[in-house]
Amino acid sequence: MRELGTGKENTWCVGCGNFGILNAVKKAIPILVDGGIPLQEMVITCGIGCHGKIFDYLSLSGIYGLHGRGVATTSGIKLANPKLQVISFGGDGDSLGEGLEHTLFAAKRNMDITLILHNNGTYGLTTGQFSPLSGHGYKGLSTPYGSIETPFRPIPLLMEAGATFLARGFSAKPEHLAELIVKAVRHKGFSFIEVMQPCISYNNTYTILNDKAKMLEAIPQTRALALELATDPNFVYLGTFLQQNKPCYHEELFGDINPLDDRFNAAERNAMIGYSHGKKEA
Amino acid sequence: MAEVYSTLIGGKAGEGIKKAAQVIASILMKRGWYVFQQDDYQSLIKGGHNFSIVSYSPETVHHGYNKAVLLVSLDARSLEQHINDADTTRMEAIHYYNSDAVVQQPCITGVKFIGVPFSTLAKQLDCKPGNISIAAIALFCKWLGISPADMQSIIRSEFKRDVDENIRFAEAILSVASEEHLFPNVAALANPVSNPRLISGNQAIALGAWAAGLDFYYAYPMTPASSILHYLALKQSTHKVYAIHAESELAAANMAIGSVFAGAKTAVGSSGGGFALIQEAFSLAGMVEAPLLCILSSRPGPATGVSTYTAQEDLDFALAQGHGEFARVVAAPDSIQHAYVLAAELLCLAWEYQSPVILLTDKHLSESTCNINSFPQVPFADDHILCADNAVEPYERYAITPSGVSPLSFPSSDVSPDKVIKWNSHEHLASGLRTDKADAMVAMKEKRLRKTETLHQALKRYDRVHIYGEEGIPIFAYGSAVMELLEAQKYCRKPFRIIALIYLLPFPSEELQMFRGEAAMVMEHNITGSLAKLLRHELSLHVEHNILRYDGRPWDPIELAELIMEKLNA
Repeated sequence: MRELGTGKENTWCVGCGNFGILNAVKKAIPILVDGGIPLQEMVITCGIGCHGKIFDYLSLSGIYGLHGRGVATTSGIKLANPKLQVISFGGDGDSLGEGLEHTLFAAKRNMDITLILHNNGTYGLTTGQFSPLSGHGYKGLSTPYGSIETPFRPIPLLMEAGATFLARGFSAKPEHLAELIVKAVRHKGFSFIEVMQPCISYNNTYTILNDKAKMLEAIPQTRALALELATDPNFVYLGTFLQQNKPCYHEELFGDINPLDDRFNAAERNAMIGYSHGKKEA
Repeated sequence: MAEVYSTLIGGKAGEGIKKAAQVIASILMKRGWYVFQQDDYQSLIKGGHNFSIVSYSPETVHHGYNKAVLLVSLDARSLEQHINDADTTRMEAIHYYNSDAVVQQPCITGVKFIGVPFSTLAKQLDCKPGNISIAAIALFCKWLGISPADMQSIIRSEFKRDVDENIRFAEAILSVASEEHLFPNVAALANPVSNPRLISGNQAIALGAWAAGLDFYYAYPMTPASSILHYLALKQSTHKVYAIHAESELAAANMAIGSVFAGAKTAVGSSGGGFALIQEAFSLAGMVEAPLLCILSSRPGPATGVSTYTAQEDLDFALAQGHGEFARVVAAPDSIQHAYVLAAELLCLAWEYQSPVILLTDKHLSESTCNINSFPQVPFADDHILCADNAVEPYERYAITPSGVSPLSFPSSDVSPDKVIKWNSHEHLASGLRTDKADAMVAMKEKRLRKTETLHQALKRYDRVHIYGEEGIPIFAYGSAVMELLEAQKYCRKPFRIIALIYLLPFPSEELQMFRGEAAMVMEHNITGSLAKLLRHELSLHVEHNILRYDGRPWDPIELAELIMEKLNA
């Protein structure tokens, strides 16, 4: 297994939760490669924000896309070449603010991709404004008197939208997170991992997360139980909340073919244009 | 000059007006005539007023006419609206109207009005309201001298549902149709061509792009671009092309760039409002150097504007598409046939120069229909891609090259596990990793800009300008305005030349050098004269008259010819 880093200078704050996520990905990739996914078929995408810098620290192919659009870009990659395993990294602003529609629709379609949500409850890179996941009362530059909005609850939201793999990890537990990433990538369908990630500069949640983090013993038997555990006010449960088999989008669209391999050449296209109108008129 | 005739059908939305016109156009086309069909409809599903015109001639018809020799008004509103649209210059015109809806027979010299109780007949024969336009097909068949048996087989082949009741209704209509006033030019109808095909501008665009290698099309519905989505969606099973209706234009364009990254030939399309959302990813395509074909089909704006009518208000929008500086191409087809060729050229150019390109069209060109008797050979995108040499390590997505074009590579198990293909929306190094270093910024900006010059040179292999006519004042236009001028040219006693701009960016300065500082006219469908402004700027053109129309409607060729004559004599 070759080096997965790029040697690029890391500009995350010291103590940033993103380091844990990066480490987890670096642990998960060799396991996935050993499991039979060629490294060159593993592709990453991201949006814009602190989370997105992971793109520059991972020596993997992919697109460093636009803010909010990472999941849309990912869907397009997967559709054109379903053999590629695409992991999309998103911040809370990316995946649930600017790009909410793409996240919900990718889940609705059960697009066979993995979304890793770096949930730090704030807009770190743009200096700590409130995010779609910041709590009521959160004070930031754009909400100096406290946020008057109620945050989204990512796991219930994604469950309702149609995701077929739902999990929660914690950046301070990279071994566990790596296991979740392996499961998510191997899952056929839309996989969503909410990663609880403290922002050391604007939303330092280490103490509270360490206090409240609790491992799920097993995948909850029912959706109702999964929702109850995912939204428990006393604990931040970590683990897999849902894993469900359901046909994914590209299979429904074109079965098991690969559009890049199964396409007409120039001569065939020219002949068909002649042929199809001949046939129509016959 | 060969005679051009027209047939007009008017009625309510939901009565099958457009379909009936298509059947009539198809009948004529199969008998060797050139046809042009244009449809005027409102943004509603039932009711209102819709009408379609089919113009036809033994020679090419570039555009439809407002006045018809045979008119069928299925309701009172159609009769009222088109009462003066009879073409009485060569013969007495016939206007069939619905006598159930209109009590008093109108009287106009040169027009024979014949009332037919369309609604009563339909009711008696248990026909659905949606089938009432079958009457127009029957009346047209009678007028053209098509036997009842042939009419039956036409209806059988053109309609999938309610065939028997449609035939019953058509036969009842035949029995009340006029035995006089039949089509005078039947002799010319005996020159059938093999394999003609009725095709709309949007279908031509879709097919042309497909012929050049299109694999995926992403869009969100918006008139008048939607029919590209519909057409390609229908072709999935036969053509292995995938048309995806995304959650928004933002999604469509970003998904498209994802597919391009994977190696698929991809296009997106919308009208102005939707294209404004595509604009975000257009800029991304410029930065990541994604070959992306973008189709912009204009309608009157701003904002929602007038959904189902035509305009050329988006020239500046297209030319200045996307924030930031990068190479791009903007081109507009000047006919339905040419839309096929141009869509193919543009897809190839996008891949050759790894740049976003815009095919600029408008409702009138996109949704009008004409016959195409054969499709020309077009280039194929795969033949124009600069692919990376797998032996060269390490791979650099944005390798600095003299042409500005860096070799492409796609993620797959065929490439080495060490190969890393990084596309980056940030300014980047050759490797694709992000940078904000001054010298790296300069190097990459200059690399991208070099593509503009490389593109400019390469574009000379295609027709960047079409010139129609040998002498007379040049009249500049693009898009469907060229079709209007071509048809008007048939009626102008003083000659003029039509200078059709195909490639608008990079601007075809070399081809237009001879017009620098010359007196000319410019014709376009907008209120501010954006094409005239561009030509003044690029060519120092002396614009004597800027003919503007901005009511959403196309010109009638005869009215346009008169207007041009007036300007020429002014």
